[in-house]
Amino acid sequence: MSTPETKQYTYKDWYPTTSAKAQQPDLSPEEKARPFAKYFYEEIPQPDPAHYAMMEKPCDPSKALHPSRMNDLLNPGYLDVEIGWCNLPDGAGFIANKIVYPGVTAEMVDWWFAWHPLEDLRYRIWYPPQHGGIHLSPEGRKRILDESIPMSERNWGVVHHVTENCDCGMENITISFYSPKDYGFDMTRFKQPYVSTFAGGQGWAVTVDKNDESITAPAMMCHIFRDTPEGLEHRTRFWLGYRLSNGVPECTLPPGVAVPSVAVQGLARHNVKEFTRFKHFLPRIYAEFGGKMLA
Amino acid sequence: MPIKLMAASRKRPGLTRAEYQRYIEFYHGTIARQERFKIDSYVQNHVIDGAWGLLSDADHENKVVDRDAVVEISFKNFRDMMETLEPAVPSAASQDGKFFANESTNIIVMAEEEEIPVPTPLTTFNPGLGIVKGVGALKVLQYIMRDEEVYPEDYKKSWRMAHEEAVEKAPYYKEQARRVQANWRCRANDNDGAARKHFKMIDPPTYDLVVAHWFDTMEQVGAFRQYVEAMQNATGPKFANWSKSFFLYTKQIVVVRDTPLS
Repeated sequence: MSTPETKQYTYKDWYPTTSAKAQQPDLSPEEKARPFAKYFYEEIPQPDPAHYAMMEKPCDPSKALHPSRMNDLLNPGYLDVEIGWCNLPDGAGFIANKIVYPGVTAEMVDWWFAWHPLEDLRYRIWYPPQHGGIHLSPEGRKRILDESIPMSERNWGVVHHVTENCDCGMENITISFYSPKDYGFDMTRFKQPYVSTFAGGQGWAVTVDKNDESITAPAMMCHIFRDTPEGLEHRTRFWLGYRLSNGVPECTLPPGVAVPSVAVQGLARHNVKEFTRFKHFLPRIYAEFGGKMLA
Repeated sequence: MPIKLMAASRKRPGLTRAEYQRYIEFYHGTIARQERFKIDSYVQNHVIDGAWGLLSDADHENKVVDRDAVVEISFKNFRDMMETLEPAVPSAASQDGKFFANESTNIIVMAEEEEIPVPTPLTTFNPGLGIVKGVGALKVLQYIMRDEEVYPEDYKKSWRMAHEEAVEKAPYYKEQARRVQANWRCRANDNDGAARKHFKMIDPPTYDLVVAHWFDTMEQVGAFRQYVEAMQNATGPKFANWSKSFFLYTKQIVVVRDTPLS
């Protein structure tokens, strides 16, 4: 029997739907009837002004973490830049963010990253002001719904086809999720207390209104979590302009070209906003639907 | 990770295939050696024969169905490729194309290589010392167009399943394929303005995968026929548009390659 979680478009049919998703229409009657639709209409919490202000100006590039040193994220303590953004000397964009989530566990995060790509509304309720929609391929959906796979591994090898505004207009972004090993982490150190869970991969973003001149931009995305006495600590890193090439980060910018600073800052601000919302609603939605994939 | 440009071109009006192949090997190839820029390796594959589409097709679905060579230009990384394609002063190689190629019909794939293991990389016919594996004088280049309904990530998975099934169902191929290399289209190919400018193609078709198969000699080409028919009839999910796919039997000519000793 077809359910909202199993509704499947072919690639040919899905792609044209993204223009409509980018318009962020009101929910359909079918969506309004979903048990989690109420989250779409909630008032969205605003970021802590002091935190948001840290994304106002670029940080010192010499203090930014280069993607080849991603394993420094497994060191105890903190790196030079935990909140900030800049352009690296090679033109790539760098973003760091850190938020602590009291009352949130790694299990909740694992469930959320597997649960939300199954239908547009699940993604839209995360951050209604800027999330347009999401879709999976048939094989991706099959893996996400495969109960024999641990929740923390469901996304490995799965591609989320996302329509999202990262403060620079609506884009179609394909995010290929990787296992931490394939992403490049040192698995001898990938354990407690250095890390509780991870969600990351390789993205390619292009404007929804793409034409032959549009640039499809790569980025490496890293969300790494560890337990602290205050709650689950979420540390984000983005490297815009980098792609993972057989497990090795490689700058994919033409010589002399830099990622526009407005795009780096835009994603940095978007990240603060969507994960501020995440902090407030994940424990509540997990209490209602957590652990299960169908709703 | 190396990145490779694969350009499949056809001869300009008025040239025979032999004249075209003479030109690209001895003139264009020499220019590439003289103006190497950051080219890591440069291989030409001179087309001997090939086929487009299926026997069941009433007509060709591609606008242009002739290819006379496929050149493969490899770079250590994306930046090296861009510096070579867009030098400060236009390169002679980019100006030379019009003397041999019908440039507007070029098909470009910017690809990353993946070696696919084969059961019998060593020939049983006169293997000599038996220490050189994975080589062959006949190279088949198989361009497989993704079915437009299939997601790129599922295409990859389905091809692997179909390949494994076809190898099992094609015993002659299983015995004779000496090397197989999958060349996967990189998303950096989406930004192919520099490649379009260099190779001057207009509205080219998009191929997500080019598979290279090596055999000992032209005498074993029937092994590929057996394989490709098994693949087209594979039992897994549909993943390819075979009417827009094609394969080329080629002879490989190395123009630039600093061959390591091991």
